[in-house]
Amino acid sequence: MRAYARYAFGRFLQFLLVVFIGINIAYIITHATPIDPVEHTVSVATAFGHTAPEAIESMRQSLRELYGLTGSPIEQYLNFWRRVLVADFGPSLSAFPSPVSTLIGRAIPWTVGLLGVATILTWIIGNLLGGLAGYYRRSRLLKGFGIVAMALHPMPYYIAAIILLIVFGYLWPILPISGGSQMNVARGWSSEYILSVARHSMLPLLSLLLVGLGGWFVGMRSLVSNVVTEDYVVYAELAGVSKRRILTAYVMRNAIAPQVTGLAISLGHVFSGALITERVFGYPGIGSLLVDGVHAGDYSLVLGVTTVSIVGVSLAVLVIDLIYPLIDPRVTVS
Amino acid sequence: MKSAARWLAAGVLAGSTFWGLIQPANAQGIPKDIPRNQLLILENPEGTVKNAAWFNIWAINANSQSNGLQQAALDTLWYIDPNSGIDGVWDNSLAAEKPVYNASFTEMRVKLRRGIYWSDGVEFTSADVKFTVDMMVKTPGMRWSAVLANAVETVETPDAETVIFKLKRPNSRFHSLFTVRWNAIWIAPKHIFEKAEDPNKFAFEKPVSLSAYVLHSHDPDGKWYIWQRRSDWQRTSLARFGEPAPRYLAYVDPGPPDKRVIAQMNKELDVVHDIAPEGMFTLARQNPSSKAWFKGFPFGHPDPTLPSAIFNTQLDMFKNKDVRWALTLLVDIKAVSMASYRGAATISPIHVPPTGRHPETYHYAMQDWLADFEIDTGKRKIKPYDRTMARQIADSLRPSMGNQIPSDPKDIAKAFGTGWWKPDPQAATELLERAGFRKQGNQWLKPDGTPFVIRVVVEGDARPIMTRAGSMIAQSWRQFGIDARVDVAAGTLLTRRAAGDFDVILSWSVETWGGHQDLSFFMDSWHSAYVAAPGQSQPSRNWQRWSHPELDKIIEQIRGIDFDDPKGIELGKEFVKLATREMPVIPLMSYNVFTVADETYWTGFPTAENPYANPVPNWGNSRYMFVKIKPKQ
Repeated sequence: MRAYARYAFGRFLQFLLVVFIGINIAYIITHATPIDPVEHTVSVATAFGHTAPEAIESMRQSLRELYGLTGSPIEQYLNFWRRVLVADFGPSLSAFPSPVSTLIGRAIPWTVGLLGVATILTWIIGNLLGGLAGYYRRSRLLKGFGIVAMALHPMPYYIAAIILLIVFGYLWPILPISGGSQMNVARGWSSEYILSVARHSMLPLLSLLLVGLGGWFVGMRSLVSNVVTEDYVVYAELAGVSKRRILTAYVMRNAIAPQVTGLAISLGHVFSGALITERVFGYPGIGSLLVDGVHAGDYSLVLGVTTVSIVGVSLAVLVIDLIYPLIDPRVTVS
Repeated sequence: MKSAARWLAAGVLAGSTFWGLIQPANAQGIPKDIPRNQLLILENPEGTVKNAAWFNIWAINANSQSNGLQQAALDTLWYIDPNSGIDGVWDNSLAAEKPVYNASFTEMRVKLRRGIYWSDGVEFTSADVKFTVDMMVKTPGMRWSAVLANAVETVETPDAETVIFKLKRPNSRFHSLFTVRWNAIWIAPKHIFEKAEDPNKFAFEKPVSLSAYVLHSHDPDGKWYIWQRRSDWQRTSLARFGEPAPRYLAYVDPGPPDKRVIAQMNKELDVVHDIAPEGMFTLARQNPSSKAWFKGFPFGHPDPTLPSAIFNTQLDMFKNKDVRWALTLLVDIKAVSMASYRGAATISPIHVPPTGRHPETYHYAMQDWLADFEIDTGKRKIKPYDRTMARQIADSLRPSMGNQIPSDPKDIAKAFGTGWWKPDPQAATELLERAGFRKQGNQWLKPDGTPFVIRVVVEGDARPIMTRAGSMIAQSWRQFGIDARVDVAAGTLLTRRAAGDFDVILSWSVETWGGHQDLSFFMDSWHSAYVAAPGQSQPSRNWQRWSHPELDKIIEQIRGIDFDDPKGIELGKEFVKLATREMPVIPLMSYNVFTVADETYWTGFPTAENPYANPVPNWGNSRYMFVKIKPKQ
């Protein structure tokens, strides 16, 4: 137990170091962007109306002061860390003065909801069918599924999403093609709103399932194919243990460990958002927020989103490292 | 058996859940509980609004403008329509009459309408106008703070219907700030904003409106906004033209262009803001109820904006007008039109957009001058203008587009423009050689012996039409032996354009009122006093950083005359002649916006035949369509 505590502490320090380095790299990259948020704001503000050129310089100066961009680089860096430690990323420059944390807080439930469900469902279905296909190698149904999954897996996500959009949004328009819920439905825990959210998430979810299933399916099928040739499985078959029990207790259980690692990392990536899904299906989320921030030179927003993502992925890896010795007896901390 | 029954039950449950989810889904793109025949659904091209509950349009860049706020809820003193207008191009909106200046243009007096009320029942008065200006002057960093602080000395309100602006210096175009061309300075409600501690940080979450609609509901994630017609719409300036027909307006983010096409075909989007030409052709072919500005080709509404190839004239290689003209004579406008708009472009040989009332005043009126215009290449004199260019484009499209292509010369001119500069590589060679350039093998060299390299900066996927035009121009130059490279700026375009970080950029530095002949809207900013030094940020809109003593003279003369003075047109023509001789930017075409209205639920949208308003739904001017359209069902 002591060894485990030491191991856990070491891993936690590593986690902190990874997060610190990751956020610093993000800080440097975002501040090296050639997009000047003040210039962007001035351009947007003067794009249509009549603005006398002599007014633009005073506009620039006011904005620099308003956005807090007047200090030295060191001062700005220290201010940034002071705020990060209390989970405050300051005001968004492209949606000034709304706090970045508010924008992220509004977007993240959509991303986590959709991608979390999609990741878990894809993982369960892919592993289940992959395990069955690896064990029942003569099943035509599972072979057929394997072919379909393999065919869909390499398809670029964008193409799959567009095909779904055209089929279910235009040719047979039975699913909503845009937004997170129906317009003018009050937000809350009512069955009407929940159903509306479920309806709107169906197409994006389906697209993520179709493209994501193949990876888990193929991985699990290979793992199971190896496990079924192990002596203990052959012995269990010869001893007359039922096939179902061999599959669930002997084969799948032993094959699942690497897939659990994959699941944890995939869940960590949920916090990065799914930009193409959000763009194609007009689904609210953190991916679009990030891209909008990049285009507007809004480094407060970009840093906020990337920090959440860095912490999410690092935390997922930490958790899996911590629980791995507990779920797989073959792994020891020593 | 028991297990099979369990599986069956699970299957039935999953199936019924799925069916329950999908069955009513074909109505998901429209708002719940709002009758479709009372609702007009329009695209908000800003997409998803990050700061969804922010309606303080006076704070800079904080929120959405075209989510219905400026089209349906706000109002200001005057509007100029880029086309013909609902009752002429000029509309006295909150003002009762046109602005009245003193002789030295240091004072502007405005008479306001009475009987106009905010949606919360408070009467609109001159105090609101004064407060709007004072608030922004006192609070640096607001959208129009710098502009007003630079221009306004004081605002006086002798009574509830009179406002007197005392200006810091003569300014005959001061009213432009309160005249809508897309937007303007909107009037703020004094009784609301005077309670705000810091107007820069006041969200105005429950906006009171001054125009005919008031906020009904909106998506906290910023994807849609629904506005409801005010019960007292008669107490707004729009009521002069009748009752706005739609009881509700929904401004939505329908997503990428493909989805806008699908949404309109599914009758979930009445007005598309803009789509790619290919999407326009699909709607024209497959959705008979879709109507664009033109009945047939080129469909799109020509915005009073002039996409151009803009030279950075501070670079040594572009300081000589012979070089700029040589590059112009290498451009094949027919190829550019096909590459950018698939032929659906309205071309312009001069530095004025071929839209609104400009063609009659400038393009058609100056045909003879253009035809006689000569360039001396050093070896000979050429007349580069080809007045048949637009006709040639129309003729080349006719075999594939049939009778969608007009054949009447007047219709061709309206749709495709007039003439353009005919490609002349020989003249280009002579001009470049006169400027000291020389060709070695297949490569042009600059006078200093280094290769003639041109970075053509384009925006990329976000603006495919301009990007395709830029690629075609670069290709023409490359074929001639100039090392022209396309440089995709993507999100950095605005920063690079202001910083002068380009050789040639595909953008626009010419924008006009469209409906009014005064060119000061863009031209004033081209004065040499505003040209930034190399490396410094250039204020909009003289991105080419070009200056000329004759231009300054024209600008200063325009500043000294009234907005409606006919002399302004003569000075405008002088500008056209100067810009043609100097060619600081290569004018290409108007920015044709493929705004498409679906007539399933509403009819009477503005078109080229009935050009009473700008149909492009993010323009403040589009509000006039609300009183002209009629329900169909």
